Amino acid sequence: MSAPGLTAAEPGRPRPDGQVLRLLPAEGPHDLRAHLHRHGALPLREAGRLIEAVEQSGLTGRGGAAFPAGRKLRAVAEAAARASGRAGTVLVANGSESEPASSKDSVLLANAPHLVLDGIALAGAAVGAATSYLCVAEYRPELARAIAERAQAGLDAVPAQVSVTAPGYVSGQETALISALNGGLPLPTLVPPLPAQRGAHRRPTLVLNVETLAHIALIARYGPAWFRQAGTAQAPGTALVTIGGAVRAPGVYEIPLGVRLGELLAHAGLAGQPEAVLTGGYFGSWLPLPAALHAPVSAPGLREAGGALGPGVLAVLPGQCCGLAETARVLGYLARQAAGQCGPCSNGTPALAEAMNWIAFGRPRDDMIGWARQLTWLITGRGACHLPDGAAVLAASALEVFGEDVRAHARGGPCARASASPMLPIPTEPGSQGR
Amino acid sequence: MSEGGPRLRVNPIACQAHGLCIELLPELITADPWGYPIIAPGPVPDQLIPLARRAVAACPTLALLLAAGPDQADAGSGTARSARRPRAAR
Amino acid sequence: MSPLTGGGGHYAAFVQTSSTPLWYATRATGLVALVLLTISMALGLLSSVRYQRPGWPRFVTQGLHRNVSLVALAFTVAHVLTTVLDSFVSIPVQDAVIPFVGSYRPFWVGLGAIAFDLMLALTITSLLRTRMTFGVWQAVHWTAYACWPVAVVHGLGTGTDTPVRWVLALTAACVAVVAGLTLWRLLRGWHAHPLACTAGTAAIIVALIAGTAWLTTGPLSPGWSHRAGTGSLVLARTRAAPPPGASR
Repeated sequence: MSAPGLTAAEPGRPRPDGQVLRLLPAEGPHDLRAHLHRHGALPLREAGRLIEAVEQSGLTGRGGAAFPAGRKLRAVAEAAARASGRAGTVLVANGSESEPASSKDSVLLANAPHLVLDGIALAGAAVGAATSYLCVAEYRPELARAIAERAQAGLDAVPAQVSVTAPGYVSGQETALISALNGGLPLPTLVPPLPAQRGAHRRPTLVLNVETLAHIALIARYGPAWFRQAGTAQAPGTALVTIGGAVRAPGVYEIPLGVRLGELLAHAGLAGQPEAVLTGGYFGSWLPLPAALHAPVSAPGLREAGGALGPGVLAVLPGQCCGLAETARVLGYLARQAAGQCGPCSNGTPALAEAMNWIAFGRPRDDMIGWARQLTWLITGRGACHLPDGAAVLAASALEVFGEDVRAHARGGPCARASASPMLPIPTEPGSQGR
Repeated sequence: MSEGGPRLRVNPIACQAHGLCIELLPELITADPWGYPIIAPGPVPDQLIPLARRAVAACPTLALLLAAGPDQADAGSGTARSARRPRAAR
Repeated sequence: MSPLTGGGGHYAAFVQTSSTPLWYATRATGLVALVLLTISMALGLLSSVRYQRPGWPRFVTQGLHRNVSLVALAFTVAHVLTTVLDSFVSIPVQDAVIPFVGSYRPFWVGLGAIAFDLMLALTITSLLRTRMTFGVWQAVHWTAYACWPVAVVHGLGTGTDTPVRWVLALTAACVAVVAGLTLWRLLRGWHAHPLACTAGTAAIIVALIAGTAWLTTGPLSPGWSHRAGTGSLVLARTRAAPPPGASR
């Protein structure tokens, strides 16, 4: 089976030049037959070779943390070897996509579910998983169909069990997923112990984003050298990003890592002269435009520019919106979504949201701005999960990037743009937890 | 490279802001505006280790932990491990 | 068996022929243990309501609670030992830990065994706190709310000195302290657990009323010794040779 090569751009949906479409099929969702026709049969390699291949490929997690996937596989395999003779490991494929501004995982599961399911089978075999879960936000019919097709063809020794993640921002977090699978509340737990050491059902657990697993399915077929043909040396391969906001063609794109932000946004059709872009999602950072257009879109590249790749969210602030107002709304959402387990977060994150609310919609005095800055320091690193850290990073980047707006609000109250309809989606919340 | 030596950390889920650790080890632990402990970063100085152990034992919810080194894995909440002296460099 | 007539005599004969010193020691250590247990409960309750003052930090409450509890245990062990060694009434050592198997006032002595067992469990789990999960330690520690009232009722039911006015007053003071502090603790927790706290308050009120009623119709009314199961042989011996001081 030939490696996937250059594909023609879909009419009406421009893609960056030289892009190699690997994950997303150009012609529409793949059923099992189309998937096997394009990629060939599932290559059930011997466990050690897959882990080595993934390590050599330099694949990093696509769920947001960008942790080297090979290292995670190796850690779980070693933990399994130490606990030899017992019940096997657990694999959890995380397609929960709790980040409201991201839709790449649902697009991937809708269009190429068999890549994800192949990845689950391969990674599961590599770490000796006796149980595999696929966690999704909702159980769509395409996914049900794909699983039924594989069951009929007898493809998977350990079929993936679908588990619907509880609604809520923290429910999709690694330890929260495991806690729910263990029959507990879908809330984060203390680390250590790491899931790789003791996770679901007290067994070593490998948790990987569904996009990461899809890449693993391709690396197993075409090899690490092929994987490295796209992307950069520090950030190899392709990634899915969700582009939104002030662009003419918002949606999910597959890009080679390292492409310039300006090039990517141009192909998505940048509208007007936006002043900022939110990178990395609600845990991420604002970057000023046009200054950040030169930054490479990759985890190390964006981090160096002061932003983050996260789960691949890029939301361009439209000219008619106020960045401080958007940030205040997101912080309010994060504060309501906090698990309520840790004192510094359940006290500090709402306080930070309230301070940002004053700054965005009121007339903040200097002490309010100072208090907001102090709160970002107070809540960082003091919770069981990274929700307060993310909120702090978002708030701090807003205060810096929109510094002019902060001063303008302090002088004359909120700008007219603060009351424009919001750009960043805030879900209505049956999933509110904590209080 | 971070130094070896035992480090204090708080299990934020178990911590209920009783504040005994702040009373017993003010050299390393201060209170935030809501009464929760802020731990000074870095390893515990040798002369404070006995006091740190006392603070760990005094926590009503066993939320304060003294781990042997920066990447040591604890058993998890509810079980405090006592520190070991850092091994001499080879 | 002859009453103690005064000084001299071989020590072994002294112990075998009269129980008065051990009997006094039992009663005294029992009362002191009750007072110490009450103070321990009070300090524990102050801890749970997070009591503190500028000159009284929380670790003082915690440290005192620990030390007073250990002394209370020591006095309880002394109380048990003197009771077992006292040969006037046959109370073998197993009656101290296995409830209701004895022949002397089986129910009321049995309550003492229960309280003693609980005290042992409380002490051992607290000394080994760091080696178990917090949930397990907490569950065992909540049995203190059973241990203390059982000890009080044991004292009132078995105790020779129950009708004595100052002993009654002391017991009432202990009950007042623990009941009052427990009500304070329930009030503090009402916000988070209204149902449990209301039930707890009701239970305390009911217990106080029932306890007073039992006290007046039981230990404080004549004939209690017989009804408590003192045993006719012991009663006969007592009537034949009453020791100086209070009556059994």
